[in-house]
Amino acid sequence: MGAHLARRYITETDTEPDPARKYEFDPQLGFDERKEREMVANQEQMNLAQLPLEQRDYCAHHLLKLMKCKRDNWPNFLACKHERHDWDYCEHQDYVMRMKEYERERRLQLRKKRIEAQAEAA
Amino acid sequence: MAGVGFRRWAQALCRGNGSGISALVSGCRAASGVSKGSLPGPYPTTPEEKAAAAKKYNMTVEDYEPYPNKGEGYGDYPNLPERSQHERDPWYQWDHPDLRRNWGEPIHWDFDMYIRNRVDTSPSPVSWSSMCKQLFGFIGFMLFMFYLGEKFPSYQPVAAKQYPYNDLYLEKGGDPEKEPEEVKHYEI
Repeated sequence: MGAHLARRYITETDTEPDPARKYEFDPQLGFDERKEREMVANQEQMNLAQLPLEQRDYCAHHLLKLMKCKRDNWPNFLACKHERHDWDYCEHQDYVMRMKEYERERRLQLRKKRIEAQAEAA
Repeated sequence: MAGVGFRRWAQALCRGNGSGISALVSGCRAASGVSKGSLPGPYPTTPEEKAAAAKKYNMTVEDYEPYPNKGEGYGDYPNLPERSQHERDPWYQWDHPDLRRNWGEPIHWDFDMYIRNRVDTSPSPVSWSSMCKQLFGFIGFMLFMFYLGEKFPSYQPVAAKQYPYNDLYLEKGGDPEKEPEEVKHYEI
């Protein structure tokens, strides 16, 4: 759980990604082709629903469906399990993507360090 | 003219047992008031004056000690130790249990400050230096730990959350006329 913190502050202080800094590598590096993330809800819809900024992410269309379902089914607060699950699953996948991005950045940094070490040794 | 008449009338009243306003106005006192001998007097210089003052205040001559004569106006009032009523025995049968005082006991100059609702001079269970060390030690430790927390923050090993529409350029108040810088996000 805290291995990344130990790496960041003690063992690999120069290669571990810093969350405050932007990631420096080209997004296409290492991929043949990368699919762009698709945004389904448009800005007008999100504005009409008055979503707070933190919730205007790539899962907003599921959230809008959930909000509509809740409003239609009130007072039955147990009714929107399916929509809620869809939204939760989308958020979960988004979080997993974030973890993968972090790990990708970390490995690219280690690779960069290896290349530099090789260049120096040579 | 009217003043003289008023004074005569007040004196006539005084012949009855009047105290309060008529006593003040006319200059004669009732028997229920304080007698002249029991009021505080000037600073005692000779041992006889000291003995008389001690007797007046119901104290032994050894205990009696006036305030130093610095012209502050204490006169011969006794200099009692600065101890509040909290320090007196709570189990003893005082004449006035709330004030923890017996009848006739000499009253401290600041007695109204030292009642049990107010200033408390009782000793603390731990010494002052120990209390200071504990308190400031704890506060200092907490401040140090907060500083460390700022320098070495704890976070989850995830990248920053990705937002659409150029990181919500318009939603965050960006200028609609200007072109925002392109921010693309990819799946992974």
